[in-house]
Amino acid sequence: MSTVPNPSETAAGDLVRLAMASSARGMAILDRDGRWLEVNPAIERMLGRSAAQLAGEAVQACVARDAPALAAGIGTLVAGNARALRMAVVFAHADGREVPATIDIAPMQAGDGSVAWLSVQVTEDAADALAQRLAATEAALASMERLQASFAHGVSHDLRAPLRAIDSFSSLLAEHVGDGLDETARDYLARIRGASARMAGLIDSLLELSRAMRASLRSAPVDLGLLVDWAHAELADADPEAARDARIDVQPGLQALGDERLLRQLLNRLLGNAWKFSRGGPVRIEVDGEQDAGRLVLRVRDHGIGFDVRYADKLFEPFQRLHGPDQGGGDGIGLAIVRCIAERHGGRAWARSEPGEGSTFFVELPAVPGDGQQA
Amino acid sequence: MSQKEILLVEDNPDDVELTRIAFAEAKVANSLAVVNDGAQALDYLFARGRYADRDPDDLPSIVLLDLNLPKVDGREVLQAIRAHEKTRGLPVVVLTTSTEPFDVEASYALGVNSYIRKPVDFEQFVWAVKQVGLYWLVLNHPRES
Repeated sequence: MSTVPNPSETAAGDLVRLAMASSARGMAILDRDGRWLEVNPAIERMLGRSAAQLAGEAVQACVARDAPALAAGIGTLVAGNARALRMAVVFAHADGREVPATIDIAPMQAGDGSVAWLSVQVTEDAADALAQRLAATEAALASMERLQASFAHGVSHDLRAPLRAIDSFSSLLAEHVGDGLDETARDYLARIRGASARMAGLIDSLLELSRAMRASLRSAPVDLGLLVDWAHAELADADPEAARDARIDVQPGLQALGDERLLRQLLNRLLGNAWKFSRGGPVRIEVDGEQDAGRLVLRVRDHGIGFDVRYADKLFEPFQRLHGPDQGGGDGIGLAIVRCIAERHGGRAWARSEPGEGSTFFVELPAVPGDGQQA
Repeated sequence: MSQKEILLVEDNPDDVELTRIAFAEAKVANSLAVVNDGAQALDYLFARGRYADRDPDDLPSIVLLDLNLPKVDGREVLQAIRAHEKTRGLPVVVLTTSTEPFDVEASYALGVNSYIRKPVDFEQFVWAVKQVGLYWLVLNHPRES
């Protein structure tokens, strides 16, 4: 049969090869004995072998079972007794895996009308292909998570260390020169230290966001009132002056189903914002929730400076700020952490406000089953 | 106050200098021996390599250990210290920049005595080093060797 030319070795052959290469389905040309002449990349992938490795090998040698039935079918086609063959086959992948597929074979005739070659199309069974794609995606995800973890580790260590040097040597320089520093020089050194402190805060916030993204979720009923009390105590410690007139009211018995550590982070961020943007008046914050169909919509309402609702969508994006530092604007990561934690719990976060009228932040979380339901 | 050496395992020269200054400001009189990677730390403790003429029974009062180190990293140093009879009881304080929960977890699992995150702010850093000196060199009663 070696005198029969390979059809893809003709002038149009390059085009044929290009068409085959672009197909996601398996495509091949066999000689009349059922040996691979041309295979496309999809076939190479299904069998885990290169075109060069397959060349000259019979197709029936590549299946895990039913090789005689396949050989017989090909014989019928070559004898001119059938015009097409479709059968379910199980290919044997080079790594030992079985690849279930459907194979379609049709005869290709030479000039004299005899069957010279066979054209082949192979479709992988959908469920199996899906499972493979899922496995590949999971592997990619796992490797991305590993990368993210080592990235966070590097950031945590290698970006913070130089900041300590900047801050410390600025401080030591001021001490060392002592009275030799004029007002301007002291201002410059204070700015250097202020900037390094801000960047340290930003790095810590980014690490908190990265941990919120990666942390494994341990769900249990969580007493949100207790978390609010904790956050209140911490805010009062950090800002004793505002704490004297501050009031945070929590609806009694408020609870959600979630990861306590993450929900604590979420409430710290929301209450921290509400506290910060209450400047100019006494801090008044109300925390309550509404339950419906297994979901709790948590509400944190303040009476502070509020924000322009036109930018409400931007609030939860990292690095987006609606307020400058003079208005209490932070590093722009806090609400991204809130949204991330809400989404980790299968919920979402949104906000409403009127400038000067305060803001209300909403977070949807899983409710504790049976909680707050009427018997 | 015990006058034995403090062994500082730290590869960042800025942090070495700052730790020195912090101990001086904290009036810790113990001399500071500095090694720059984990392999040197083990050579020092087990009196081998370039430290072969050290007395192997003369252990430092405390080891201050950074985690991210060239060659042999901090966790491996800690593991080796805990694996040897002679050094098993040596107080080891991890003094690092990282607060990744993984690092904290791994250090305690390997038997660290204390885990301290180095603050970025200089005054806080001096304060932290002062507390370490006060606790481990004054308050803490070491095992008699």
